[in-house]
Amino acid sequence: MPISPRILGLFVSLSLALLRIEIHADEPAVDFDRDVKPILAAHCFDCHGADSQESGLRLDRTDTRALGGNGGAAILPGKSSDSPLLIAIRGGNERVPKMPPDGSTLSAEEINLLVRWIDAGAVAPADAEQLASRQSDHWSFQPLSAVSPPQVSNLEYVRNPIDTFVLARLEAEGLNPSKEADRATLIRRVTLDLTGLPPTVAEVDAYLNDPHEDAYEIVVDRLLASPHYGERWGRQWLDVARYADSNGYTIDGARSIWKYRDWVIEAFNRDLPFDQFTIEQLAGDLLPGATIEQKIATGFHRNTMVNEEGGTDPEQFRVEAVVDRVSTTGAAFMGLTLGCARCHDHKFDPISQREFYQLFAVFNGADEPALPVPTRQQSKELPALEAEIKQSLERLGMVDANLGTRQAEWEAAYAANSEQDRAALSFAPEVTSALAIPAGQRSTEQLELIRGVYQKIDPERIPLAESIESLKRQQEQVKKSITTTLVMRERKEHRETFVHVRGDFLQPGAPVKPGVPAVLPPLTARGTQTDRLDFARWLVDDEHPLTARVTVNRIWQTYFGQGLVATENDFGQQGEAPSHPELLDWLARTFITGGWSQKALHRLIVTSGVYRQSSHARPELAGADPYNKLLARQVRLRLEAEAIRDSALAASGLLSRELGGPGVYPPQPEGIYRFTQQVKFWGTAKDSDRFRRGLYTYLWRSSPYPFLKTFDVPDAVVSCTRRPRSNTPLQALTLANDLAFVEIAQGYASNLLAQPTLGDRARAEQAFRQTLARKPNAHELIRLLEYLESQRAHFVASPEDAAQVAQRDSGAPNAAEVAAWTMVARVLLNLDEFITRE
Amino acid sequence: MADRKQPLNELHARTRRHFFAECGVGLGSIALASLLNDEAEAAIDPLVLQDPLAPRRPHFAPKAKRVIFLFMAGGPSQLELFDYKPKLQELSGQVVPSEFTKNKRFAFIKGDAKLLGTTRKFARHGQCGAELSDLLPGLASVADDVCIVRSMVTDVFNHGPAKVFLNTGSSRFGMPSMGAWLTYGIGSESRDLPGFIVLQSGPRGPRGGNPLWGSGFLPTAYQGVPFLSGPEPILNLSNPPGVDRTRQAEFLNTVQQLNSERLAAVGDPEISTRISAYEMAYRMQTSAPELIDLSGESAATLAMYGAEPGKPSFANNCLLARRLVERGVRFVQLYHTDWDHHGNHDTHLGEPLDARCKETDGPAAALIKDLKARGLLDDTLVVWGGEFGRTPMGEPRDLIGRDHHVDGYTMWLAGGGIKGGQSIGATDELGYYVVEDRVHVHDLQATMLHLLGLDHLKLTYRFQGRQFRLTDVGGKVVTKMIA
Repeated sequence: MPISPRILGLFVSLSLALLRIEIHADEPAVDFDRDVKPILAAHCFDCHGADSQESGLRLDRTDTRALGGNGGAAILPGKSSDSPLLIAIRGGNERVPKMPPDGSTLSAEEINLLVRWIDAGAVAPADAEQLASRQSDHWSFQPLSAVSPPQVSNLEYVRNPIDTFVLARLEAEGLNPSKEADRATLIRRVTLDLTGLPPTVAEVDAYLNDPHEDAYEIVVDRLLASPHYGERWGRQWLDVARYADSNGYTIDGARSIWKYRDWVIEAFNRDLPFDQFTIEQLAGDLLPGATIEQKIATGFHRNTMVNEEGGTDPEQFRVEAVVDRVSTTGAAFMGLTLGCARCHDHKFDPISQREFYQLFAVFNGADEPALPVPTRQQSKELPALEAEIKQSLERLGMVDANLGTRQAEWEAAYAANSEQDRAALSFAPEVTSALAIPAGQRSTEQLELIRGVYQKIDPERIPLAESIESLKRQQEQVKKSITTTLVMRERKEHRETFVHVRGDFLQPGAPVKPGVPAVLPPLTARGTQTDRLDFARWLVDDEHPLTARVTVNRIWQTYFGQGLVATENDFGQQGEAPSHPELLDWLARTFITGGWSQKALHRLIVTSGVYRQSSHARPELAGADPYNKLLARQVRLRLEAEAIRDSALAASGLLSRELGGPGVYPPQPEGIYRFTQQVKFWGTAKDSDRFRRGLYTYLWRSSPYPFLKTFDVPDAVVSCTRRPRSNTPLQALTLANDLAFVEIAQGYASNLLAQPTLGDRARAEQAFRQTLARKPNAHELIRLLEYLESQRAHFVASPEDAAQVAQRDSGAPNAAEVAAWTMVARVLLNLDEFITRE
Repeated sequence: MADRKQPLNELHARTRRHFFAECGVGLGSIALASLLNDEAEAAIDPLVLQDPLAPRRPHFAPKAKRVIFLFMAGGPSQLELFDYKPKLQELSGQVVPSEFTKNKRFAFIKGDAKLLGTTRKFARHGQCGAELSDLLPGLASVADDVCIVRSMVTDVFNHGPAKVFLNTGSSRFGMPSMGAWLTYGIGSESRDLPGFIVLQSGPRGPRGGNPLWGSGFLPTAYQGVPFLSGPEPILNLSNPPGVDRTRQAEFLNTVQQLNSERLAAVGDPEISTRISAYEMAYRMQTSAPELIDLSGESAATLAMYGAEPGKPSFANNCLLARRLVERGVRFVQLYHTDWDHHGNHDTHLGEPLDARCKETDGPAAALIKDLKARGLLDDTLVVWGGEFGRTPMGEPRDLIGRDHHVDGYTMWLAGGGIKGGQSIGATDELGYYVVEDRVHVHDLQATMLHLLGLDHLKLTYRFQGRQFRLTDVGGKVVTKMIA
């Protein structure tokens, strides 16, 4: 380390002390316990000892002293003047603050002892005891407790063990659960919850008329087997994964990563156990014999943003992406706010800044390539082309092998030609002159030149060469048409990782190795250095206290509007304690012993009595449990953005149920891109892609699809573990006036009118049930019919309005009828109940 | 038009009575996070509070009630406009002394770039003698109302992150913007329009897009609503084709009636909020077309702004901003793009800069004068500035420009409790570093909130394990700015 002039200056001013070192170099050796430890204890241990380790520095132990602080080594054995400890004690410099910070100073004698001790090698006895790993009493760091469901008295309410936990608590508070919701509400609720779509009238009728005791369970099993389950729950995971189809920041260019989105949907549909689901997303590429699907899964951590702005430092934004990977991993799996420890030790949780960078190191070793994912067709075509090219090249080799003979014949004929004929070939002068020289006397260049000329006119060679060219073009084309997807790939050589002092990547501090926070169970690596696969396996180890709790809690939150731990992304000390700790642990334990099956967990929750309660408000609960923490009733929850649009498409009969594929472009209002830096591509779909489910809509981070944005779709900048449910006038304008939504109402009307035998009353009832599952009450039906009548009267009288609303020619015979029913459908699709799961 | 307004109003009144009389839902059941730390101050009629944009009392008596933020996107050159440096003129063409650029990163230029003096002429203006270049005759004419801050400092030197930083106090994308914080803190006085509106002029949208006016982790009700130029400023504001006003009113009536019946059946206050939201949507539909129609403004007013009805421009947006704050909108942000003068053919410090100034200087000054004439300037805070300034070193490309500069640049403020007729802060003799009254972006934000009656330390929201605020972990109120 070169000594800065400033430190040299310091030397001069301290020359007296230094001289004494020279003079007293023969003095008896400094003894750590006798001479040094008392000095450190008096001046340093308060902040750098057993109780507190400011800047990650602990000076009371030999092992931790050697490790240094977040900024790196404090003591450089043999180099006292370069040692930050001494620099600090002597007043500090631009990198090292003055110590002690209270303004006190060490005596020259004390400094002298420290200098001599360090220059002599900073030797100290080994610590008597191993450093105990960090302990915490905080509930979420404790192992899952083995709990059994409690005893309760109200047994008729109990459908499975979940209910006993909830009921025991309610009984203790003197509250009763709510009665079960009626069947129409139940089937709509569970269908929306499990598939994100409303039930059809036929499905409702089947359930209403099913006399079996387990009629409800039959519905649940049908829904869990539906491919729409994977779409609905996959979308929720995509929130956590901050999935989007563009790079973010200012330029926000397009990216191709929809294969990852489809992988997620498919993983849910085949009920890939959550532990494996986790491992493949964090480290699929490192699995032995990794399949292409397992590599695609690593797109999870490629959903980070990329800054394409001119004049940016790529390393800065690579670091940002790695930081985001750590933060997202914390929020998604551990319910920890790890990001808080980026710039300093976590203020509340036992996570040090050094530990943050150990986690950073886990994710710092990857390259970020795009993986080609050929279709089955492309997978067949490419090797076939390859083989054909190889074969043709072999044939070409043979043709070339006896090219010399043909060339000689041609040259002879050429020589025999008249001068005029030769000139007609218009060869370059150097060719003509080379040809004039007998073959045996030509230079090497000339030989090659003539051979090249002849190759181009050799009649045996030409067709073969052309076919090879064309095959290669085909090959190029197939390669270009192959979809790519962003993945992680471990580097051969690790990047070194350092603590970033104050979170600034330009200020590297102490070097760190990959590792996990000491407060959590230890990790055993397969090799010499922990990698992503070790980390992922550690995360889903049966004994990990956080992953299962966090996961079951997030799933629970979807069904009840809030988790058993209300702060679903903060299980730390600043988070809320669980409302039902035993239930949480029982669910987590059951999840693990059930092989981490998410479908089994969903089935368990939705078949519980708690889930099946009515969501109606109960006046007596308003005071006793205003936030419904005790779960004496279900809750009404506004549908998520996609579910609102999807439900409208399903009710109207327009929904395209096609699964997967590249993002689609449903119609959106004009003028969206006047507020982005660049106009984004939006080739509005003309076919059934207009009516695909919302999760397939192309998501530009800088400008999400406005309908979805208005209903709180996340912008995929950071991991989203819970969406807000806002309730705004812009939502009203969207549902009432968005042309794409009006188009759905119009299609709805056309489909209603396609059943010609129905009268108004039956048709209105049918529409009501298609939209809300339940039958309208008399009052509601009358209102709808009166409304229909008034609209019909208007549109009959105003055929031009009718034509516009019905999107028909003004002469069309039923335009007024379609228009009137479009208005009815529009009313139904605007009801609060329609956009709410009750 | 009685047929559309009456029933809605009646219905609303009935719904509220109904809600309490028949549904038996106690006040306690209305789950509302206390927005301000002082519980007592937040305890306003809960039914009103159900509307997330209902006006709320701030922490203390405010000097400003609303904000117009003129965001000059790209980073205007303070050295061509505000900050005259004779020494820079003298050393123009020489390599910048290395002590200025040690450990510095730049977007494009290197540490050995050459200093560049300005070709613009500076003079003093107003009673206060504010020194401004000849590019800003408009601002010169209102110099005594304006507080020029020559000592702005920001943290980040790329456009996107720096814009997000000025708007949200963090260079990370996804944090709430100041308009969102403000409407979250004190709601909006407009019952017919969104509380936070964003206007745009210039060749393209600002770099960063949505996150610049996003609500981050705050409820989406607080996000900025972009106003489009053209007949339909808000998305989906117009009735669908073939649906006339009467039909729209009938439609809304039917929806509201069915919703209030459901409210009676299930007792969920969210339904009541939705009923209010539909009412406000309907009022927006009625009021917005009148709002954006500038043709009713006097010829003198139009001329003062340089506004031409129907022709989108920064001038039109300034006039529109006045009309918006007149109607109680809390925060209006105007973006004008293309201040990124690096030195290409269309981004050098000559004509392109002339053009940007012509487009913005007159209208901004007109806005100050107009607000003042209408008695609105006293409680309307006007802020002018960009995400950063530009380097004292030149950036030679096709022609000459300057690179992004974070260590010292200029913004100005007026009205809303600002002490006008003064300049605050100074940079060193090269215009590089701030040497006097440093105002960090967080300090500006803290001061703006202070003028609006909000303590930036108390306006917080809990997210991912901690209390977040606009000013992150910094910010101090700049008392010198305040009258």
